Amino acid sequence: MTETPPEMEIQPPRPAWWQRISVVWLVPVIALLVALGIAWNSYAGRGTLIEITFQNASGLEAGQTTLRYRDVTIGVVEKVGFAPDLRNVVASVRVANDVAEYIDAEAQFWVVRPEVSVRGISGLDTVLSGAYIAGLWDNTSSGAQYAFTGLEVPPLMSGSDMGGLSITLRLRDGNQISAGAPIIHKGIEVGSVGEPRLAPDGDMVLIDAVIDAPYDRMITSNTRFWDASGFDIRFGAGGVELDVRSLASLIQGGINFDNIISGGDPVDPGQEYDVFADETAARSSIFTSTAVDQMLPLSVVFDGSVAGLTTGAAVNYRGLTVGTVTDLGAVVEGEGDDRRVRLLANLEIGTGQLGLGEDVSIDAARDFIAKLVAEDHLRARLATASLFTGSLMVELVEVPDAPEAELDMSGEPFPLLPTTGAAITEFQTTAQGVIDRIGGLPIEGLMQSAIGALNSVQQLAGNPETQRVPTEAANLLSAARALVESDEVSGIVADLRETTAGLSSLTRQIEQGQTVANLMSAIDRANRALEGAADVPQITGQLRELAEKANRMEVDQLAASAESLLRSADALIDSPEARQVPGALAGALREVDAMLGELREGGAVGNVNSALAAAESAATDIGNAAQGLPDLAARASRVLDQAGTTVAGYGSDSRFNVELVTVLRSLQEAADALTTLARTIQRNPNSIILGR
Amino acid sequence: MVTVREAGLVGCTRCGRVHHMGASACDRCGAPLSSRDETSLQRVWAWWWAGLIAYIPANLYPMLLTSTLVSNTESTIVGGAVELFLHGDVGVALIVLVASVVIPIAKFMAIAFLAVSLNKRHIMGEHAQHRLFSVVEFIGRWSMIDVFVVAILASLVRFSVVATINPGIAAVSFALSVAFTMQAALSFDPRIIWDDEK
Repeated sequence: MTETPPEMEIQPPRPAWWQRISVVWLVPVIALLVALGIAWNSYAGRGTLIEITFQNASGLEAGQTTLRYRDVTIGVVEKVGFAPDLRNVVASVRVANDVAEYIDAEAQFWVVRPEVSVRGISGLDTVLSGAYIAGLWDNTSSGAQYAFTGLEVPPLMSGSDMGGLSITLRLRDGNQISAGAPIIHKGIEVGSVGEPRLAPDGDMVLIDAVIDAPYDRMITSNTRFWDASGFDIRFGAGGVELDVRSLASLIQGGINFDNIISGGDPVDPGQEYDVFADETAARSSIFTSTAVDQMLPLSVVFDGSVAGLTTGAAVNYRGLTVGTVTDLGAVVEGEGDDRRVRLLANLEIGTGQLGLGEDVSIDAARDFIAKLVAEDHLRARLATASLFTGSLMVELVEVPDAPEAELDMSGEPFPLLPTTGAAITEFQTTAQGVIDRIGGLPIEGLMQSAIGALNSVQQLAGNPETQRVPTEAANLLSAARALVESDEVSGIVADLRETTAGLSSLTRQIEQGQTVANLMSAIDRANRALEGAADVPQITGQLRELAEKANRMEVDQLAASAESLLRSADALIDSPEARQVPGALAGALREVDAMLGELREGGAVGNVNSALAAAESAATDIGNAAQGLPDLAARASRVLDQAGTTVAGYGSDSRFNVELVTVLRSLQEAADALTTLARTIQRNPNSIILGR
Repeated sequence: MVTVREAGLVGCTRCGRVHHMGASACDRCGAPLSSRDETSLQRVWAWWWAGLIAYIPANLYPMLLTSTLVSNTESTIVGGAVELFLHGDVGVALIVLVASVVIPIAKFMAIAFLAVSLNKRHIMGEHAQHRLFSVVEFIGRWSMIDVFVVAILASLVRFSVVATINPGIAAVSFALSVAFTMQAALSFDPRIIWDDEK
C-alpha cells in the first residue's frame, strides 16, 4: 500500500521584487506624469512676459485686463506695478508665445477705455468688461522685445493692414482741431487726425493724420489742406450762404483737402502739409509759397481816428492780403505841450505772402520792407475794406511823390512803417457829407416855427373873432346879394341905359350932324368967299390953319381919354375896393350920367356948335367983308390965275383935302368908339360891375 | 488573545466565513483568501502618493472659474476661502478650509503615520492606531464636500453671459486626490495592526 506521502509543504519561491510590486503603483506614477504634464503645459503655455509702461494704470487690473490684438485676446495683465522711480506704471503682460515673436520694436500699445465723443461712442464693450490693452504691430518679426512704452492716446492707424498714408499737418493754432477730427475730401471722411501737439519751436501745431486707403492715393505734392471747422457764412450777390458741415466737424473740427491742380507727385509717409485757414486761401496758395510762413511784425502810427480798424483786419499790398493787424493801441508822443495821442497798430506780414518765400529770415524780410519804403516809397495807409460796415484795413501802397521816409528800426514795439493819408473811399465821405448836411439842417428851428405857426393857427381858430368870420362872410354875401338885388344896382343898370341912350343920342346928333352940316356950310361959304375973292391966298392960308387946328382938335384924344376912363373904370370896378363900394360906383355913374347929360344938353356939342357957328359968323363976316370990298374982288380977279392954280391945288389929293378927310375919319373913329362902348354896355350891362 | 492567523485560520473579508489556513479562495463566495495582504502597505503608499500628487495641482490651479458680466474670477481653494473670510463669511470660510485643506492634509498625515508606525509600538498603541484608522476611513468621504460644492455650483449657475461657474483643473485634481486617499485608506489592512501584539 502505497502510503500517500503527506502533501509536501511547498513553499513557493519568494517572488522577485518586481513581482511583488503592486500594480497600484501605476496610479501615482500616472498621476505624477499627468501632474507634471499639466505643470509643463501651463508653464510652457503661460506665454512670454512683456512689460508695457504707462503713465497711469487707469482701468488696468492684474489678472483681469487683457491684451488684445485685433480684438483677439492674446494675453493678460499679470501684474501692475511701478517703474523703479515710481514715475510710470508698468503692466506686465503674459502674451501668447505664438504672437510674442511678432511684438517687435515697432509695436504700439494703448489702453482702450469707453469713450463718448461727438463722433460716436467707442469702446462700449469696455464699460462692462473693463478696459483692455490694445496692441498694434505688423506681421513681420524683427526681433522680439520685452519692454515697451504704451501710448496715452490711441494711434491713428488702428488696423495696420488697412494701409493708409500717415502725414503730418502744420497749423497756426490747434484750438479748432481735436484728436479724431475727420479729414474730409469732397464731403467724405477719408481719414482722421491725431492729438495736436506743439512743434519743438513752439511756433506751430503739428497733427499727425492718416488718410485711409484707398483714398491715400489722392494725396500728392499738390494737395492743399484747409481748416473746415465750424461753419462758413458768406455774403454775396446771391445772398447769405451758410455752410455747415457735419456736426462732428462743427464741434471737433475737421480738415478738408483737395488737389488744387492735378499732376502732383506721390508723397512719402510723414510728408508735412500746411493747413490753410480756408478754402480760398488754400486755393490761392498755389501761387504763394506757403500758408504758415514767418511773420514779420511791424508797427504803424496813424493820425486821426482808426474807427473801423479792428484786430485781425487785413493788410493789403496791391490788393493782395499779405498780413493782418494784430493789435491796436494808443501811444502818447511828444513832450510838454506837443504831447498828443496817436494810434498805433501792430501788423504781421507774412513773408511767404509777400512772395519772399519760406526760407527768408525775418531780418531779410525786414530789410526788404525797408528797401521798399526807402526806394519805392512804400507807405501804410488806412483804406476802406467794406463800404457797408465801414470797416477799415491797412493798405501798403507805393506813393511816388511821398516825402522821403524810411522804416524806423527803432520803433516800438516793432519797426515803424511810415504812413500816408488815408484812402477812405469818396463814397463814404460824400455820404458822410450828405448826412452831415442833413444833420446840420435847422430841423429843430423848423419844428419850433411849425409848432409856433400851428399854435398861432390854433389861437386864431380859437379866437372868437375868427369864429365870427364865416358869419361876416355870410353877411357880406347876403349884403352883396342884397346889393345886387337892390334897387340901386337896378338903378345902375337903368342909369347905364340912360347913359347909353344919352351917348346914343349924342352920337346921333353928331352923326346927324349939324356940326358936319355947319362945317360943310362953312366950307361952302369959304368956298364962296374964295370964289368971291379972287385973291384970297391968305384966307386960304388961314383956312388951312383953321383946318389944321380943327384937325388938331383933340376929339380923338377925347375918345382915347374916354376909353382910358372906361378902362380905368373897368380896372376900378375890377378892384376889390370897387366892389366894396358899389354905392360910390353908382354915384360915379350918376356923375358920368350927369356929365353925359351935360354933354348932351349942350356942353361940348354946344361948344362945338358955337365954335362952328362962330366960324360960320366969321365966314359970314369974311363974306360981308368980301362983298363990302369989290376992289378986293378986282384984285382977286387979278390973281385969278393964281387962284386957278390954287383951286387946282384943292384936288383930290391936295393937302387940304387930305386933312379934311383925316378930320372926318377921326370924328368917325370917335363916334365908332362911343358906339362900341354903347353896344358893349347894352349887350353886357353887368360887365361894368363884374369888370368883364 | 489569539488572532485568527495564530489559530491557523483565515477569514473571508467579503462574507466573513472562516477557512483553514491554506485555502486560497472562499468556498462560499469565491473571494480570494489571504491571511494577511502582503501588498497592502505597498498599495497604501501607492495611493497615498497618487493622492498627494493630485493634491498639489488641486491647490495651485483654480477651483472655480466664475465668469460674470463684469469679471472673470479664478479662485483656488485657499484663495476662495480667504476671499470668503475677507467678505466676512467666516463660518463658510472655515468649513471650506477644513473640508478642503485641513481634512485632506490630516488624512495624508494620518495614513502616512499609520503606515509608518505599524510595527513601531512605542509610537502608538494598537488600539489608538485602530481608532485613527476608523476616523480616517469615516472622514474620507466628507472630504469631497468641496467637489460637491463645485459640481453643484457649476451645474446651477449657468446664466449665459451674466454669470457662469465652471470647475477648474483643481476641481478634478482635488476629486482625484480625495479618491486616491480614500483608496489608500481602503487599501490598508487593519489586521496588520494586531500582528505584533504580544
